[in-house]
Amino acid sequence: MPKTRNPIIKLDRISKKYDDYGNVVNALDRVSLKVYPGEFVSIIGPSGCGKSTLLHCMGLLDRPSSGQVYIDGKNTSNISGKEIALFRGEKLGFVFQNYNLIPRLTVLENVILPGLIMKKDSSGLEKRAQILLKEVGILHRSDHKGIHLSGGEQQRVAIARALINEPVLVLADEPTGALDSDSSKEIMELLVKMNKTRNVTSVFVSHDIHIASYGNRTVALKDGRLVGDTVGKSKDFIKVVKNLGKATGDGKRGD
Amino acid sequence: MGISSRLAIGELKDHKRIYTIIIIVIALTMTSFMLENAYLNYMTQVVDDTTKLVTSDAVIVDEDSNIRDLYGTTFELKNAGEIARRVERDLPGYKTAIRVTAQGTYGLGTAGEAVDACTIQGISPEKDNEISGIANKIVKGRFFRDSDPILRGHTPLYIEIEGPGKLPDFSWGSGEKLLEGDEPYPIIVGATSAKIHPSIDVGKTLSLTLSVSGRETSYATINVKVIGLYESGTPLLDALMWFMHADSLREIKRYGEITGKDWHIPGVGTFRGYSPIKIDRDRGDVVIVKAPDPLHSLDPIGHSEQVKEEVSSIVPFLKVYSWHDFLVYIAGSMQDVVTIMLWGSIIVTLFLCGATIKYVMDSIIMRKTREIGSLKAFGARDRVIFKIFLYQGLIIGLIAGILGIILSFVVMNLVNLYGLSVEFIAGTQLKVGFIINWLTLLIALVLPVTLSVLAAAIPAKKASMLSPVEALRKGELSL
Repeated sequence: MPKTRNPIIKLDRISKKYDDYGNVVNALDRVSLKVYPGEFVSIIGPSGCGKSTLLHCMGLLDRPSSGQVYIDGKNTSNISGKEIALFRGEKLGFVFQNYNLIPRLTVLENVILPGLIMKKDSSGLEKRAQILLKEVGILHRSDHKGIHLSGGEQQRVAIARALINEPVLVLADEPTGALDSDSSKEIMELLVKMNKTRNVTSVFVSHDIHIASYGNRTVALKDGRLVGDTVGKSKDFIKVVKNLGKATGDGKRGD
Repeated sequence: MGISSRLAIGELKDHKRIYTIIIIVIALTMTSFMLENAYLNYMTQVVDDTTKLVTSDAVIVDEDSNIRDLYGTTFELKNAGEIARRVERDLPGYKTAIRVTAQGTYGLGTAGEAVDACTIQGISPEKDNEISGIANKIVKGRFFRDSDPILRGHTPLYIEIEGPGKLPDFSWGSGEKLLEGDEPYPIIVGATSAKIHPSIDVGKTLSLTLSVSGRETSYATINVKVIGLYESGTPLLDALMWFMHADSLREIKRYGEITGKDWHIPGVGTFRGYSPIKIDRDRGDVVIVKAPDPLHSLDPIGHSEQVKEEVSSIVPFLKVYSWHDFLVYIAGSMQDVVTIMLWGSIIVTLFLCGATIKYVMDSIIMRKTREIGSLKAFGARDRVIFKIFLYQGLIIGLIAGILGIILSFVVMNLVNLYGLSVEFIAGTQLKVGFIINWLTLLIALVLPVTLSVLAAAIPAKKASMLSPVEALRKGELSL
C-alpha cells in the first residue's frame, strides 16, 4: 500500500447518528479510513451495518454528525452547499444499485449529463462519452434510450457516466445488487478493468462476499464500526469476513 | 440551452398527456378571457363613442347643475362663449363647442305608440362635428345644412287671447301655432327611435314637447322634422339622444335679444307673445371639451380624469364632468359587475389549473425523487433542480398563453367573417365585435405564465430542498 502518498479521501473519526422516532441510532461510530489513489476498495458488512451511510458520507451526499471528511486534501466539513455540489460534480463519480439512468435520455445523453451539469463543453463531452462507452462495451447502443437496455447494460452506461468528469474517486453503492450473477461478474470485471487501465480509484459497497472479493482492499463494517481493513484476497480477507459473523451475505439490498 | 431547460423540456415530453390537458384548459380559459375582454372592450368602445356624443372628453356646466342635467340642463351656463374661448386659449390643442340642451317627450299616442323620452342636444354643426363626428354616424337622411329652417325669427310659444277686455291667458307650451311660412325645426334622431316608433322616419314631422326650464315656463311643444337617422353603435342610447341645431334651441329657450311683438294671423286672430328674437350664440347650457388624443389608449378613464382636472383648473368656479363620470352615471356599475364576474370566472379556472399543475408536479417529483437525488450526486445545485421544475411551469404558461391568444384570434376572425350580431330592442341588431388592446394581450400572456410559474415554484422549491441521500433512499423505496 503506497501510504506515503496523500489519500484521495480521508475519514477522520466520523460518526452518523439518526433520530429514529426518538431513538438515537448510531449508523456510523467513529470510523476512520483513508483511500489512496488507485485503490479498489470494497466495503462489506451485514444489512444495517452502515455501509451505505459510510459511502454517502464519502460522497458528500450526507454530512457526518461528527468527524471530518477530507477529499483531495480539503476538509469538507464546513464548506457551503454550493461548494459541496461542485465537489461532487468535479471530484466524485457515482454508480448506483438501480443505475438511475434517466429513461427518456439516450445512452449518450445519460453519460454526458454530469458533464453538462458541470457546464462542460458538450462536443468535448460527447467525444469523451464515446470513448468511455466503447470501453464499457456499449457504444453500439449509444442512441438507444436507457430504459430499453438490460440491467447489465444500464450499469455499464452508469459506469461510463460516473467517469465522464474524470473524478478522483468513484463510489459505487451495491453496483451489482440488481443484477443476475453473470451480469454481476461482467460489471465487477469492468470496474476492475477501469481501476487497472484508467487507474480509477473506487470504493464500492456490497453485502456479497464474492462481489466484495473483487476489491484489492476490503473494509468491513459491523454495527457502524470498522471491524476490518485488509488488502488483497489473502487469509486476511477471510479473517475480515469472519469478523462479520453470520449476518454477511444474507440480504438482497444494501442498507 | 442550459441543463435545467433541457431536462425541463424532457420532463414535459415525458408527461405530455397530462400537461397537454392542462395547457388546453388554460389556453381555453385565456381564449374565453380574450374573447370576453375583447367583446367588453368593444362594447365599452361603443358605449364610449355614444356617451362621448354627450360629453366628448369633458363638459362644463353651471355650478348649480348636476350630472343628471346633461340629459337636458336645467340651468344655463352663464358666459358660455367666454368660457369656451378661455379653455381653447389656456389649453392649447383643446377644442370646445357650446351646446344648448333640453329634455323632450314625443309620441303622445298619435300613432298608438307610447310616450317616449329623449334628450335633445342642441349642437353647433361645424364645431360639434369636428369634436364628436356626429355627421359620420348618419345612416339615413343627412346632417344639418345652412338652408335648413334652423330659425323662425320668433319663439314658438304663444299667448292665446280670448278677446277684448280679457286679460291675456298665458298658455305656455300648451301647443305650437305655426305662422305662415314657418317650418318645423330640423332634427336628427336615433335610428333605434325610428324602429320603435313607426311615425318617426326621415321626412316625417312630429310633435315634441321640450322641458325648457330656465325660462318662465316649464315646457314647450314644437314641431320637428326628421332630416336624418344616426347610429352610434349603442341602440339604447341612440333612442335617447336626438340632435337639433343649437340655434333652434336658443330660439326656443329665448337665448338672445327679445323684442315684443304682436302677430296677426288673418282669419284666425291676433296673437301676442310670438317674440322676435335675435339669438345670442355665446349663450348655451353646456360647453363640451375635446382634448388632444392621448398617445396611447390603454387608460381612457385616466385620460378622461386628467382632462377633467385640466379643464377644472381653468374654470374652478364651475362644475366639470369627465366623460367617465357620465359613463358611470349612464351605465352605473353594470360594466364593473360584468368585469368582476369575468375576472372571477377567470381566476377560479386559473386557480384550479394552478392547483392541478402543483398536484401533477408534486406527484412527478414524488416519482422522480431518485432522479433528483442522482442529479444532486452528479453535482447539480439546488438552483438547477429548482429551475428544472420552474421552467416547466414557465413553458406550460407560455404555450397556454400563446395558444389561448391564437385561438381567440381565430374565433374573433370567424365571428367577424360571418358578421355575427344579436337581436336588441325593437328588432335592432347589436353587432358582435371585438377590440383587442395591448393590455388584454399582455394579461392573456402574463397571467397564465405567472400562474403556472407560481404553481410550479412550490413543488420546485420542495424538489430543490431534497437532501440527496434522502432522495436516493426514497427513490429506492418507491421501486
